[in-house]
Amino acid sequence: MNELIDALMVLAVLLNLRLLGSSRLASCIRTVAIEGIALGLLPLLLAWNQGLSGRLVFLAVASIVTRGVVFPWVLLRAQRNANVQREVQPFINYPLSILTGVLTLVLSLWLCSRLPLPQAPQMLLIPVAMSTILVGLLVIVSRRLAISQVLGYIVMENGIYVLGLTLVQDIPALVELGVLLDAFVAVFVMSIVTHQISREFDHIDADQMDSLKG
Amino acid sequence: MTVSWLLWILLILPAAAGGICLLLRSARVVLLFVIAAVAGTSAVAAAAAWSVFAGRPIFAGAEWLYLDALSAYHLILLHAVFVLSSVYAFFYFTRERSSGPIRMRRFGSLWLGSLAAMSTVLISNNLGMVWVGIEASTLLTAFLICTHVSPSSLEATWKYLIMCSVGVAFAFIGTLLVAAAAAPAKLAASDVLLWTHLREAAGSLNPAILKTGFIFLLVGYGTKTGLAPMHNWLPDAHSQAPAPVSAIFSGFLLNTALYCILRYVPLVEIATGGSRWALELLTGFGALSIVIAGAFIIFQHDAKRLLAYHSVEHMGIIALGVGLGGFGTFAAMFHVMNHSLCKSLGFFSAGRLGQLYGTHDLGRMAGAARSSPVWGRGFLLSLLALIGAAPFAIFMSEFQILKAAADRGAFVVMAIFLAGAAIVFVGALRHAVGVAWDDPVGQPAPENAGLGEKLLVIVPLAILLVFGLWMPDCLKDVLNRAADVIRGGL
Amino acid sequence: MTQILVNILLPLILAPLLLGVINRTKAVLAGRTGQPLLQLYFDLWKLLHKGAVYSRTTSWVFRAGPMVGLAAILTASAIVPLGETSAPLHFAGDLILLAYLLGLARFFTVIAALDTGSAFEGMGASREVTFSALAEPAFLLGLAALARLTDNLSLTGILGGLTWHTWAASAPELAMAAAAMLIVFLAENARIPVDDPNTHLELTMIHEVMVLDHSGPDFAFILYGSSVKMWVLGAILVQAVLPASSAGYEARLAICLAGMFALAVLVGVIESVMARLRMIRVPQLLVAAIAFSLLAIILVLRRP
Repeated sequence: MNELIDALMVLAVLLNLRLLGSSRLASCIRTVAIEGIALGLLPLLLAWNQGLSGRLVFLAVASIVTRGVVFPWVLLRAQRNANVQREVQPFINYPLSILTGVLTLVLSLWLCSRLPLPQAPQMLLIPVAMSTILVGLLVIVSRRLAISQVLGYIVMENGIYVLGLTLVQDIPALVELGVLLDAFVAVFVMSIVTHQISREFDHIDADQMDSLKG
Repeated sequence: MTVSWLLWILLILPAAAGGICLLLRSARVVLLFVIAAVAGTSAVAAAAAWSVFAGRPIFAGAEWLYLDALSAYHLILLHAVFVLSSVYAFFYFTRERSSGPIRMRRFGSLWLGSLAAMSTVLISNNLGMVWVGIEASTLLTAFLICTHVSPSSLEATWKYLIMCSVGVAFAFIGTLLVAAAAAPAKLAASDVLLWTHLREAAGSLNPAILKTGFIFLLVGYGTKTGLAPMHNWLPDAHSQAPAPVSAIFSGFLLNTALYCILRYVPLVEIATGGSRWALELLTGFGALSIVIAGAFIIFQHDAKRLLAYHSVEHMGIIALGVGLGGFGTFAAMFHVMNHSLCKSLGFFSAGRLGQLYGTHDLGRMAGAARSSPVWGRGFLLSLLALIGAAPFAIFMSEFQILKAAADRGAFVVMAIFLAGAAIVFVGALRHAVGVAWDDPVGQPAPENAGLGEKLLVIVPLAILLVFGLWMPDCLKDVLNRAADVIRGGL
Repeated sequence: MTQILVNILLPLILAPLLLGVINRTKAVLAGRTGQPLLQLYFDLWKLLHKGAVYSRTTSWVFRAGPMVGLAAILTASAIVPLGETSAPLHFAGDLILLAYLLGLARFFTVIAALDTGSAFEGMGASREVTFSALAEPAFLLGLAALARLTDNLSLTGILGGLTWHTWAASAPELAMAAAAMLIVFLAENARIPVDDPNTHLELTMIHEVMVLDHSGPDFAFILYGSSVKMWVLGAILVQAVLPASSAGYEARLAICLAGMFALAVLVGVIESVMARLRMIRVPQLLVAAIAFSLLAIILVLRRP
């Protein structure tokens, strides 16, 4: 199972890089959706040896449906409403963001060797989770479009999800559902606000919203 | 065990009432219904808090709900702010032309929903649910900011959503780390996130992981508290939201997030063997917030932004007071109440003056104390109270924090605090003087303040005045018991 | 002895055939008959019998370019093993020499192009240098990952040390190194999606535009040199992907040759289904290759 988990983590890293290197919004959204589905499988793989419980399967399915189906659907709709195809000029250009994405992994590996974190047998889990969180942050600060920033938030949530699975083995199901629900509502709320912004401003460029100062 | 159902009512009542709001017909009925619902909930809250202070902490729902002195004290403040703001919302929105029934229905349900969310934060024992409550309150209040949709309110909403969501996500990482730190304590899987269990096992938590977690929590919840340098969303959101919403933002939403940080302070302090590490971190953020807010207050021309920066300053003062520990914690708890009352009044007045003058520019509001006697004076007095003018309670609590600093021998902190407070005092006094005595520039609409509005001004001021001059023993007891929870007493 | 002879001669003989296979694949996929498989041999033969024309503005650099380039690439081909046996030339660190030999060949092609003083050739030279500045780190980092994985510093040792066992234990690293090398392979050999070898518009060319002024035997050297270069890079890629070291020598050689021609078919397919990238997007592709290599190294270093 460990090889499979490692492969899944590598896939997550590659998807992060693809997100960082891609300017087409639709393909970014799909990338994040694939990542959501891949990471949704993780709890099942982690618990494979101990045997699956109904609760686990239910949570995994809920997570996969939310991250892999609902989020992309909501975002693709928002994108169609706002009528934007691509992120034109991010603050950090694409090649540089890809390299920064690799750097986040290096940084996370270094941090993991320094921090007194509980070591899981799957060595890649925590570093990849941290790097995914950092990539999400990078997308939020380096992209101009509101939808891209929402994508960054989702990626960050994905990273936190993996971190949670690794750090805490048994979070009560109610809390996990609450967290998932919150992420879901957050994305929903953000896309509604995005819609309102595009109606009010005729664009969804968060960088151009700078009238409030001081 | 007889009172545990009170906690359930505190959650269910506002949530259900929020749903009912969507069914009501006219805007007026919605606003009146909101007042009734909040009043009803606050009666329940008062009963629950009474039983905590008269007896012992309440548990409910397999220990998932928990009310101790700290949360009971915050619960009362929460409801006090909400009652005042709901009454004010009635006056405020009935005078807005754009307050149609659709908008008011949405406002009412979001308003009650955020009350439910903040109550969840305060009465949850499960730290995961505390986080869920904070995130829920962020999402619900986001729409309250853009009750009136405009480009600038959307900008503020977006900033608020993104900054606070990311910040709160950090707090979740912190929560996970705290749960991971509990591994050596060998808690049962279902108890890992329960505060009371963590508190009992605090001595055996892994200090290094716990510290890492606390940094994440401080940055995460600190963003929502508006501690500098994570405060950028705060002035925008406060200035663009309708005044009643600004009042609950500043009056209690910030405190809810701060409350979450306070919950973790005793855990870290006990786990690290009383090293004061967490406290010093809090002091640092507090001092920084005071100084940065002071710098912005000097050059502020917008009444609501001015008040917003005051919020940053006062959150800093509370954090600093808690960071000093001992008597400082007590003073900080006292300050929480004073600030909530005073800041609510400040936003009430600024909002009504904004309606009367058609602008929030302080220059245009010159002479407001004479031309609009009720709200103009309310604004003037709340501003004076906020900067710590003498007989009001804020002066007392700030003085107590200074005394705590002097007792500890923390003279650097004391100097920073004094310098920051002096800058704020001078900067804000300039605006206050203008509002009071300058010749009028703008031509305000007539005020037509009824008894209700007068009471809204008088009641908070009277409370502040009374507590500034005399502190009753029962209040002292309540504050001490709340402070004891933070200081690590059981 | 025979192994060494085979290792030296086979690339020299078979290299031009690779291009024939690529072109045939493209023709078949496009529904054409296409040129003969041996077309490049005919071209070389024809060019060698022609005289060369030299512009009066060029210096000896222009004449030296093709020769030095070919010499460097032929030397490089001696470092790369064929059939996972010992290469004729092998020592610890020879992969650095390989990179430098390829660099030397590129350097002389570039300065020969600059020597003509033509604006188009200067443009091609600047593009070539820009892109190879990105392709080279990807190539070296990818090799470094493989070197670390096999604990060996010579190409012979690296390619011989990769077994099915290595694949089973560290598939993600190997896959990423291979992906990086495939991108480098396409970029260095001026194939789609980086460069279009069939283009007739100087504005969009990279490699072809640099050699516009060469003629006769010089041009034959350049064409032959680039086909050997393709063989060299391809051999590294194929032997990294198809580790067959448990079989006998003949079997390994056969697998390796089959892999080479499979690679040629793959390139043909890629060229048929993809369009050339816009010039501005090429660095992004190469940076992706660097990222792949870096990830491979990171993962390899992670292994206890």
